[in-house]
Amino acid sequence: MDVWLIAGILFKILVVVGISQGAVAYLILVERKIAAYAQDRIGPNRCGREVRLPFGLLQPIADGAKMLLKEDVIPSYVNKPLYILAPAIAIIAATIGFAVVPFGPVGPSAPTALGAPFQFQIAPGVDVGIVYVFAVGSLGVYAVVLAGWASNNKYAFLGGLRSSAQLISYEVPLGLSILGMVLIARSLDLNKIIEWQDRNVWGIFIQPIGFLLFLISSFAETNRLPFDLPESEQELVGGFHTEYSAMKFGMFFLGEYLNIITTSYLVVILFLGGWDLPFLNAGQTGWLPAFLKAFVLLGKVGAIVVFIMWVRWTLPRFRYDQLMDLAWKTMIPLAILNLVATAIVVQYAWGH
Amino acid sequence: MVTQFTPVFIIILFAIFGIAAGMLGMSAALGPRKKTAVKQMPYESGMDPIGDARQRFDVRYYLVAIMFLLFDVELLFLYPWAVAQYSATPAVETASGMAPAAIPGVPPVFRGMVFVEIMVFIAVLMAAYAYAWKKGVFEWR
Repeated sequence: MDVWLIAGILFKILVVVGISQGAVAYLILVERKIAAYAQDRIGPNRCGREVRLPFGLLQPIADGAKMLLKEDVIPSYVNKPLYILAPAIAIIAATIGFAVVPFGPVGPSAPTALGAPFQFQIAPGVDVGIVYVFAVGSLGVYAVVLAGWASNNKYAFLGGLRSSAQLISYEVPLGLSILGMVLIARSLDLNKIIEWQDRNVWGIFIQPIGFLLFLISSFAETNRLPFDLPESEQELVGGFHTEYSAMKFGMFFLGEYLNIITTSYLVVILFLGGWDLPFLNAGQTGWLPAFLKAFVLLGKVGAIVVFIMWVRWTLPRFRYDQLMDLAWKTMIPLAILNLVATAIVVQYAWGH
Repeated sequence: MVTQFTPVFIIILFAIFGIAAGMLGMSAALGPRKKTAVKQMPYESGMDPIGDARQRFDVRYYLVAIMFLLFDVELLFLYPWAVAQYSATPAVETASGMAPAAIPGVPPVFRGMVFVEIMVFIAVLMAAYAYAWKKGVFEWR
């Protein structure tokens, strides 16, 4: 019995990891295409021409092969164990965050297969959900700090320092901004939060400030422009991954894009209703609604991802003191105010 | 034995031994290796590096780290409160079919008291925050 359970879990993990890694490869192509269109260029269009595929659709495969086949330079001044550990932490932390993210209906409305409910989530019963995602996401800071320190390179060192200060600063508003939603939905389980939004309204309508704060801090947490200080090319070359080459560089890159996907899922699940649409609700069971819900969720996530890439070509980069001011002097007071206001309303106006 | 955290454990093992080790191993096995003296130097845009990279750095990074610890511990304290404050409501109890006493959470009688306590906690935290701001911890110019 247990053997089959574990085989099922492994199957789900393989599917999720395979799809997400493939999605990351294509996200890089999407990003380059969006960049190209934003700048009135064409972008990658050569790979795949021989087999009549448009838009450079084979570009990600060429990129992947190139990362694996290039020389993996390990400079002689680096602290070797930490230097190798850093990209490994980056990709591990980004991968294991997917364990508690629901990709479709979970719980009572899940469809049945082989006599058991099929949950669209790797670990359906974990009720600390969002805390686990944040805990794992915070591990990513170690990758940055270790990479910056172990490289023994001035650019990498400064980039690592800046980046770690930025990441820990924005973790505070990131955590505070969802507390209002947790207070209202009374659970940390992402499925329960979706179900609450399905029964009532989407989080964005009752927690608009929380949504804004969460979105902004997740830009900072994924090192996206306007918050890409850690690797601002003009001043720091490559930031903390200056000394990395071949697949080790690729692992940082993959980790970053996996984080974007996880973050987009969180934004959609916490504030945009997850799989909820006016005609979809928790009462519908069976495979057709299940797939519809999974696709609705995926579509919303795709919209957020495209939004994140679009912002990159719209906003200029912050200066470092502006970045820290925004986190400590604007977002944290706002987040605390939002939490206190929510708590007062829930305590006295909703009459529990 | 399979518990709710077994899948989490399996995906961690898979990420370590399947993904991270696999990628590092494949890259080491497939890529060429040609060491030259210049390639092994720290990269500084073509200049020869002067001195060690691990120098002293700005004290403000330490201050930010300390403030982060303060706020993060506070966050960890607020999460259980946010979940427990209203989870023991009659509506939830009937929906889940559990006995009222079996649902963890703040009993309705104590809700007002717990609420006031949390407000006091946040007020104390805000006092510390205002003190740090006044002391110039957040000045980066």
